[in-house]
Amino acid sequence: MSESLTIINFLKLILLTMVPFVLAGQGTMLGGRTGVFNVAQEGIMLVGASVGFLASWLSGSLFVGMLAAMAAGGLFGLALAYFTTSLKMNQFVIGLALFFIGLGLSTLLPKLVIGVTLTPPLIPTLQDVPIPLLSKIPILGAIFFSQNWLVYASVGLSVLLYYLLYKTSLGLALRAVGENSAAADSLGISVPRMRYAASIIGGMLIGLAGAYLPMVYTGTFTENMVKGRGWLAIALTFFGGWSPHTIFYGSLFFAGVEVLAYRVQVIGSIIPYQFLLMLPYLATILVMVFTFRKSRVPAFLGQNYDREKRVL
Amino acid sequence: MTDETIILEMKGIYKAFDQNQALDDVSFALRKREIHGLLGGNGAGKTTLMNILYGLYRMDRGSVLRGGREIDIRSPRDAIRHGIAMVHQHFLQVETYSVMENIVLGSDVKHPYTMNLAEERHKVSELAERFGLQVDLDAAVEGLTMGARQKVEILKSLYRGVDILILDEPTTNLTPQEVDTLFESLRVMVNEGLSIVFITHKLREVLSVCDRITVLRNGKNILTLGRGEASEEAFVRAMVGEEMNVEKSIFFSKGKLGEEALRVGETPVLEMENVHLTRSDGIALLKDITLTVYESEILGIAGVAGNGQRELAEVIMGVQPPSGGRIRVRGVAEGSASGDLLRQGVAYIPEDRLHDGFLPKANVATNLILGFHRQPPYSRGVFLDWNKVFETARGLIREYNIKTQSPADAGGNLSGGNIQRVMIARAFSRPAKLLVAHNPTRGLDIPSMEFVYQKLLEGKKGGMATLLLSEDLDELLLLCNRIVVLYRGEIVGVLPRSRFEKYEIGRMMSGVRTNV
Repeated sequence: MSESLTIINFLKLILLTMVPFVLAGQGTMLGGRTGVFNVAQEGIMLVGASVGFLASWLSGSLFVGMLAAMAAGGLFGLALAYFTTSLKMNQFVIGLALFFIGLGLSTLLPKLVIGVTLTPPLIPTLQDVPIPLLSKIPILGAIFFSQNWLVYASVGLSVLLYYLLYKTSLGLALRAVGENSAAADSLGISVPRMRYAASIIGGMLIGLAGAYLPMVYTGTFTENMVKGRGWLAIALTFFGGWSPHTIFYGSLFFAGVEVLAYRVQVIGSIIPYQFLLMLPYLATILVMVFTFRKSRVPAFLGQNYDREKRVL
Repeated sequence: MTDETIILEMKGIYKAFDQNQALDDVSFALRKREIHGLLGGNGAGKTTLMNILYGLYRMDRGSVLRGGREIDIRSPRDAIRHGIAMVHQHFLQVETYSVMENIVLGSDVKHPYTMNLAEERHKVSELAERFGLQVDLDAAVEGLTMGARQKVEILKSLYRGVDILILDEPTTNLTPQEVDTLFESLRVMVNEGLSIVFITHKLREVLSVCDRITVLRNGKNILTLGRGEASEEAFVRAMVGEEMNVEKSIFFSKGKLGEEALRVGETPVLEMENVHLTRSDGIALLKDITLTVYESEILGIAGVAGNGQRELAEVIMGVQPPSGGRIRVRGVAEGSASGDLLRQGVAYIPEDRLHDGFLPKANVATNLILGFHRQPPYSRGVFLDWNKVFETARGLIREYNIKTQSPADAGGNLSGGNIQRVMIARAFSRPAKLLVAHNPTRGLDIPSMEFVYQKLLEGKKGGMATLLLSEDLDELLLLCNRIVVLYRGEIVGVLPRSRFEKYEIGRMMSGVRTNV
């Protein structure tokens, strides 16, 4: 294999690997922009992976699997919104509880549906969809336009969210809820409605991020297969300053580190395997050290809003 | 000018927060084209009543009539639909948004998918022009002065096409000049057909701008009268009730303190020389502060909130070390920590009572001795003498009229005004040579303010030096021997009592330097 081909392959892999980060990162950002701080990504992604895999296997359609994963993620988003927005409970406690519920459910569901087997069933993985004409462009075609459709979708989603947040009236209202819920409320914007919607849609995106793993990487569900990508998504939102475009760039960075770690491992080197697995987390800390102070966070992030709570 | 048509009526309103009956059968009627003053001390229920009208609180009982028809207001959205808007004391604005974005937020714009706001901008400019509310529509709100931010709030309401505007303590944080401009704008609005509810605790303001006045006290209606129908005296009585001797009060003395009360000593107690404070990102919070407070002197610090007052109090109290310069308190080692300062006779009433001076989960007795807990008589060796603590606490609760079940009750159960009383009781409970008091009367009703003023003057008579940082200019004019004006962390001027003049100070508060 020639040198240039390896680089093309490397770049193509980064785009492929970026998808779960983009989906989970944007999902987290969407909720956070209204003040709902989801910390259950790891659990929701596991449920998404598990449900997505099972539904695909049962129905024989990856698309049905994706819808099921999104529905499951949406339910978690709904639960988060209900306990925090309606019952005004602590967002972190509820988020962690949902993480553990997701962790447990993700392994329980396959056992209930498939039973205990030595050889778990496989689903077909998502095929690349080369875009006519564009995929014929030398080098660029191979990197950008010969991917599975979720890669295109996640780019489209990022652009769409950017437009929605910064260029529309709805986006102005949504960001206002996260910056100052009291101000938004006083202008007739329904804080609960906005928070519910953002939390549910965010949960759906995170669920889909989980389903990507069995559908693209492994073809089956394995225990704890998300491997911390959910936690990284939280770091990613801070790293990306809670904005769709910077979260997209951040996803590329995390994907790059992941691919690099994997490549080095395959080539075989003196660097211990465990160290390579640590790499994305190490990179996170390093990046956070340099960007965290400058990172802008929605002022009401993690805070519930109670209209009648009196300020002394 | 005002006609008799009643456009809005609130009847028999009740509202309780937990055990506290905030409103008890309150009624209120607003006429077309009037400025209606809603007057009362803190805790009288003025803001609660209007928050109900604006849909932020739900009433327990009562009815609201608009043009004679009963309406149901469940949220601010309903209120705006019924033509009612409210400008809160603490502006409800998204700081990172531009003025224009804050104004159109939550309303239906012409182009919701491109946010081309040309048409809306035209409408806002027109409103600003008509009512004298010019602001830079593209500026970010966080960089604006308080006066400009208030204009944004009013524009926000007018933009929604309301005909009833509620203003909650609109003159807080404004310079006297800005207050005048505001009053002019209000007159124009009324002439154009709006009706305005003006919530305030400042009698002078209602008398100068309002057509009719309703006085509330302890959640009850006291009276409603036209401005000319009663003397100032009658309104004062209505506000404070019988529990206060108005004739002898300092609060209503209009700045005529006796010679005796104004005498100042000659020994400096607090000396600051070229004090600087710079934040870690290089922004200067205090610049070259040099001032002296003498024995028996009350030195006032005036300024719009956020111009370095908090930082000034904190460097003196050893909460933050200054970046440069010297601070000397007589008889105390330079650079002492806050605990040592407290032990050695420096008393402190911090600005933010909920975060800096009070433990909501600790009991009232603990809160009353906080900071002195390591000293006798409260402490013997490593142990606290709880009997002594409670005995002292009971005494202070009685003397300072703190409304609590018992000294063992949790501090957080107290109302805001009573928490302030705890902080004041603590500061005055030990003999002090220097008192640093930051907004000591914020949130207090008039009799309580009067009580604080008496205590301050008593301390002064006893030789105590006081640094009084206050956002209430009337308070400073009433009590101080000299006033220092702060602007962006710098002293812009020092005025002796003979040169106290509201507008002069107002100019200095907005950064205009005067010869010292």
